[in-house]
Amino acid sequence: MEEELKQIVESAKSGVSGVSNRAGFEALKAEITGPNGSLTKVMKGMGKVAKEDRPVFGKLINLAKQQVHAVYDEAMSVIEASEIAEKLGPPIDPSLPSPDSGPGSFHPLTQVREEVCRIFKEIGFTVAEGTEIETEYYCFDALNTPKDHPARDLQDTFYMPDNADFGNVSKKSDERYLLRTHTSSVQIRSMLKGDPPIRIISPGRCFRRDTVDATHSANFHQVEGLYVDKNVTVRDLKAILDYFFEQLLGKGTTTRFRPHFFPYTEPSFEVDFSSSHLAKLGSDWVEIAGCGMVEPEVFASVGYDPEVYSGFAFGMGIERIAMIIYGIDDIRYFYQNDRRFLNQFA
Amino acid sequence: MKISLTWLKRYIDLPETPKDLAASLTLLGFEVDDIQTTGVPQLENVLVGEVLERVQHPDADKLGVCRVALGSEIGEKSIVCGASNYKVGDRVPVALPGARLPGGFKIKRSKLRGVESDGMMCSGKEIGAGEDAAGLLILEGFPEIGTPINEVLTESDTVFNLEVTPNRPDCLSHIGIARELAAWYRREVRYPALDDLTSVDSRPSGDDIFEGASVDCEEDCPLYRATVIKGVKIGPSPAWMQELLSSIGLRPINNVVDVTNFVLHETGNPLHAFDARDINGKKIAVRNAAEGETMNTLDGEERKLASRMVVISDEKRALAIAGVMGGQNSEVKDDTTDLVLEVAYFNPTTIRWVSKNLGLSTDSSYRFERGVDPKSLRFATDRAVQLILETAGGEVCGPEHVAGSEPVSQNEIKLSPDWIRAKAGFDIPDTQIQESLELLDMVVSHGDDGAEWTVSIPSYRGDLDRPIDLLEEVLRIYGTNKIPSGVVKATATGANDHPITEFVRQSGAYLVGQHFAETITYTLRSESEQSDWSESVAAMDLGLKNPISEDQTQLRHSLIPGMLESLRLNQSRKTGATRFFETGRVFREINGKLIELISVAFLECSHGAARSWKERGSDDFYLAKKRVEILAGFAGMELGRFGIKPIEGDHTAWQEGHAALVDDPRAGILAEIGLMNLARIKALDIQGEIVAGSFCILPERLRAAKRVKFQSFSLFPPSSKDLALVVGKSELASNVVKAVSKIAAKATKNAFALEALDVFDVYEGEGVPIDKKSVGVSMSFRSQERTLKDKEVNQAFEVIQSEIKAKTNYEIRD
Repeated sequence: MEEELKQIVESAKSGVSGVSNRAGFEALKAEITGPNGSLTKVMKGMGKVAKEDRPVFGKLINLAKQQVHAVYDEAMSVIEASEIAEKLGPPIDPSLPSPDSGPGSFHPLTQVREEVCRIFKEIGFTVAEGTEIETEYYCFDALNTPKDHPARDLQDTFYMPDNADFGNVSKKSDERYLLRTHTSSVQIRSMLKGDPPIRIISPGRCFRRDTVDATHSANFHQVEGLYVDKNVTVRDLKAILDYFFEQLLGKGTTTRFRPHFFPYTEPSFEVDFSSSHLAKLGSDWVEIAGCGMVEPEVFASVGYDPEVYSGFAFGMGIERIAMIIYGIDDIRYFYQNDRRFLNQFA
Repeated sequence: MKISLTWLKRYIDLPETPKDLAASLTLLGFEVDDIQTTGVPQLENVLVGEVLERVQHPDADKLGVCRVALGSEIGEKSIVCGASNYKVGDRVPVALPGARLPGGFKIKRSKLRGVESDGMMCSGKEIGAGEDAAGLLILEGFPEIGTPINEVLTESDTVFNLEVTPNRPDCLSHIGIARELAAWYRREVRYPALDDLTSVDSRPSGDDIFEGASVDCEEDCPLYRATVIKGVKIGPSPAWMQELLSSIGLRPINNVVDVTNFVLHETGNPLHAFDARDINGKKIAVRNAAEGETMNTLDGEERKLASRMVVISDEKRALAIAGVMGGQNSEVKDDTTDLVLEVAYFNPTTIRWVSKNLGLSTDSSYRFERGVDPKSLRFATDRAVQLILETAGGEVCGPEHVAGSEPVSQNEIKLSPDWIRAKAGFDIPDTQIQESLELLDMVVSHGDDGAEWTVSIPSYRGDLDRPIDLLEEVLRIYGTNKIPSGVVKATATGANDHPITEFVRQSGAYLVGQHFAETITYTLRSESEQSDWSESVAAMDLGLKNPISEDQTQLRHSLIPGMLESLRLNQSRKTGATRFFETGRVFREINGKLIELISVAFLECSHGAARSWKERGSDDFYLAKKRVEILAGFAGMELGRFGIKPIEGDHTAWQEGHAALVDDPRAGILAEIGLMNLARIKALDIQGEIVAGSFCILPERLRAAKRVKFQSFSLFPPSSKDLALVVGKSELASNVVKAVSKIAAKATKNAFALEALDVFDVYEGEGVPIDKKSVGVSMSFRSQERTLKDKEVNQAFEVIQSEIKAKTNYEIRD
């Protein structure tokens, strides 16, 4: 009996050395401790053993059982370790390149737009949106543009056919639909919607009937700002733009105003900047924006009292800013979307 | 507009350099597009030299070695020269080492074929004196040896190309610009002194050749003046006038025509001279053209006129298109002796219309359409008469013939200096405000209390009629570059960025995070590209009234075609681009109306990426669908709530059986997802398969995100049941889910909840009939209050199974 148990333990030990997976392990287990297993048989034989010998045999059987289970545990940990190793596969080569694409990237024009919005948001401006399709009233009339102003020509502005009917662009009366030439129409619609104070910027796509070349594109992007309140002054306008351009173009950037003419502002200015950060441009003045105090006629068209309120508006081209800050010399790059271009801004 | 510095200096002293003048003009509001210098620029170390001796270069046939005298200070130099047009004793320009010639060429001591040369003898072209580069510039008149070349060749001019804004027609002339500079530099303008004309009484009569002018259309021509000059002799105009006209790009023609051009650019008043012989009936009438009337203008074109146009006419025919261009039939010719000289004030709106409709813009129409000062007509006439008599002889005959009258314009503006300061936002003393206005020829008078001023405006400043207009004038003279900066007032308005902005930002951030590169493509697309998309898009009226080119005639209906175009470009350049997205506006016709929609779209192409040691699968329909669902979520829309259906039919954009559509005009959404049509992609010359997704939403549907309201959830475990259903092969999973959900929700009898019902398996093949498929759904039940008992769940499950058998045509698979 004792010898038999010894043999069983020995067979368990020798058996596991040949076992490499769970199935083999389970088969071995069945041979020893299964219902018909060798150890089970011995245990079943306990009944035949004389009563006085039972405690001794019981001890021996328990000892053998413990030994067999120790063999099992060891074997199981070996199997588990090999299973994990198989699951994990060979060790990585950390120097191999990742097969995945990326990074994704925002288009540089989007990045500039967001940068502009962020700077203005810091000083209390929020983004207003409008439609790209506009009507002649909101794009020109309400902005004090004379009826025979050249900007309204079929030569310069894209129009929709006379019978076009837009479901979600409202008309003043029966004026024509057109593709907006600036985002100033957003200012008009914003002012019509509520009373001052108004402090908005409106970035967006605009259209001019230009032939595409290095500096022209039939569609382009602008960002315009409007501030209307009581006692808004020319100096406030200068302060805001000084702050903005220093944030955008770096410390040490200076701006100057030059007299200009726009139908929707009086007085009107063009804004030049000078910045030592933009090496290519040097210290000369570079035109960057247009601005001015809101023309009283514009206030009249939205029902604001020019005796009570004053305000300023400004506008600039997003492509132009992007070209200046990134040193891009051809506007067409923005619309071709060559990956080698886009990736530089990822 | 071109302004010659030499010409300008006739009216104002300007010792400043052209660069300084350009800076001043810029700050006055006249942007300087470019500055051109004609003649010899300022040159250092270029002197007059005399060739004393020339010997042949020992090693070069074409070179001579010259001994050149350069005056007592410098002495003699040895210079090698390749020219052959000079002889000993000639005086020529000599550039010595250190000189920098136009074009940047720097002179150094050098050796030419082994012989030392101490400078260079120059051609005219080399020093900027003309275009002659064939030989040395031989200086006439033997200027003194050693004289700086600029003292010998003084004939130079600087021409500014200025941008004059449309509100300043008064500055479309040399005198106009002189006035502005005079205000800036606080100098006087020297107006041309006019001769006293002979009194009308002592003039001979002109009636024999001209009897008078009349205006039939007073609105178009409020004032017309004609002067008769007899006995002129046509010839070339004097050299000084020709030079000035040439400097601003005008071709000298003859003395009379040149005078009219000269006076136009001097004063801004267009004038016209008719040959008096050609005026039939000796009378001029200003009248509207007959519809279809034709005349040949001076440029040799036959012009067809419309009835809104205005002509200067004799009794038979039109002689000129008023304010735009004269006619060939009455032009001044070599043998002209008698003239009728016209000055007029035409309605700006009329002239703008005529010029635009004829497609003819002239120096004359450009000024009339912006507005000529009616009060300046008298001066312009007198000036032109003076110059004609001076350059072509003749005499003024009879009285000036005047038709119409000067429009009344007495402009005064009430102005308070405190108001100016309040608008400016910084302190400008009263004296400085007043001085600025007076420098611009305004007259300021103070009221009794001094608080309100009356400012009278010169007649040529039609652009000024409100106090705000004067603010700009004060700031101009104050210097807009000196406007002080201030504290940024950052008052909050309580508003938020527009929901469209937020939606676009969120969508972009998500897709960038998914490794897509953002593109920006053109809104305007070609008609063929649009109609190739689908029949329904082809039927939409997205065309422009006035497109500029054939490939940009329509508003885009989708962002995908633009991205495909960019993809094709990238493939042809082999850049390896595969994943693009774009956000923007698209346009659709919905229920007969055009609608502007906000759209986000993305695509992934299976071809083009660099080969990799480890393969990754490309995007499929279901991943694209997930992306569109997420994008819809940013817009506050749960895409699953709207019916999604396969795109059917022979659709040209999408691959049938592999693409789907959510189209709910009432909810304002449109989504397209799936594999792009393989044949079309191939036809577009794009390689690989493209999986794309597009989501469009009515901008009005985008609202600011609502604050989340927390909902408590059960802390008890769920209980799950699975069910496999045999359904028709083309049955949409969504229908199965909908039907079973309805039954399951009912079966729980509100005792507990059906928390989720998901499809976990779809199977076709052995054990399932050929025209059927098996859809496995798992149901998850949960109670808010307790752990569910097996019994109640089993009971509900029994009910569900029997209900499915009873109420659907699905079979339950064991």
